[in-house]
Amino acid sequence: MIEALGIPTLVIGTAYDIMSKVVPPRAAFVDHPVGRTFGPPHDRERNVAVLAKALTEVAQFTQPGMIRDLGCDWSSDGSRSWEQELRAEMLREH
Amino acid sequence: MAFEYLPIMAQNSAPKPPRVLVKPSKFAWCAVTKPLFQSRVALLTSAALRVESQPPFVPREDLSYRRVPSDPAIGPIVIDHHSGIGAVPKQDPEIVFPRTALASLLSRGLLGSLSPRHFSFMGGVRKPEQVEKELAPALAYELTQAEVDLALLVPY
Repeated sequence: MIEALGIPTLVIGTAYDIMSKVVPPRAAFVDHPVGRTFGPPHDRERNVAVLAKALTEVAQFTQPGMIRDLGCDWSSDGSRSWEQELRAEMLREH
Repeated sequence: MAFEYLPIMAQNSAPKPPRVLVKPSKFAWCAVTKPLFQSRVALLTSAALRVESQPPFVPREDLSYRRVPSDPAIGPIVIDHHSGIGAVPKQDPEIVFPRTALASLLSRGLLGSLSPRHFSFMGGVRKPEQVEKELAPALAYELTQAEVDLALLVPY
């Protein structure tokens, strides 16, 4: 809809499985927990870093429907322990 | 391997059927022609957030939207979305709606300008036809009126 009016779009999202099914024109994948796309609360430096990565990626999309991985890890050591916590959070607070 | 959200969403939907993900009925693609440093950028969020003084969104099927000033000094921002993951972003909406980061990148010369207003709506509504026929065209019109060159959509 927006692209049809001549405005390019970029989805910046954490849910790779959803983006791969919805197929936005351009999607940047951030490997963070949902609801923390640009980092932990009050971490402005990280907010800027993730957003800048996403923006500089815009020029790299050469065809519709691509999902480009920004290479953002949630934990500095690459740990994925956040997944278990997020799963519990999503199921508990629904 | 990326975290899988769809199985949890299906579990949360029960006993209702799992949420159906809908693709647009018409696929569109517009090439990027302007460099970032000449582009006007807007944010769109499905977090149903707003400036505190604006009318609240009404979960869960609200199809309205809010114009949110792009000036990060105008606030505070309130998130009305009903999602269970809201506890953390409600502490700091910038992590899903990076107005300050965008303004920072503008001041560094990475962007040409910011739209004077960003846009917010309720994600996850179960009325895909109305979203496509009413909400999306209204937002697209707003973006053209604001002369936006690049729209950033951040799903919630």
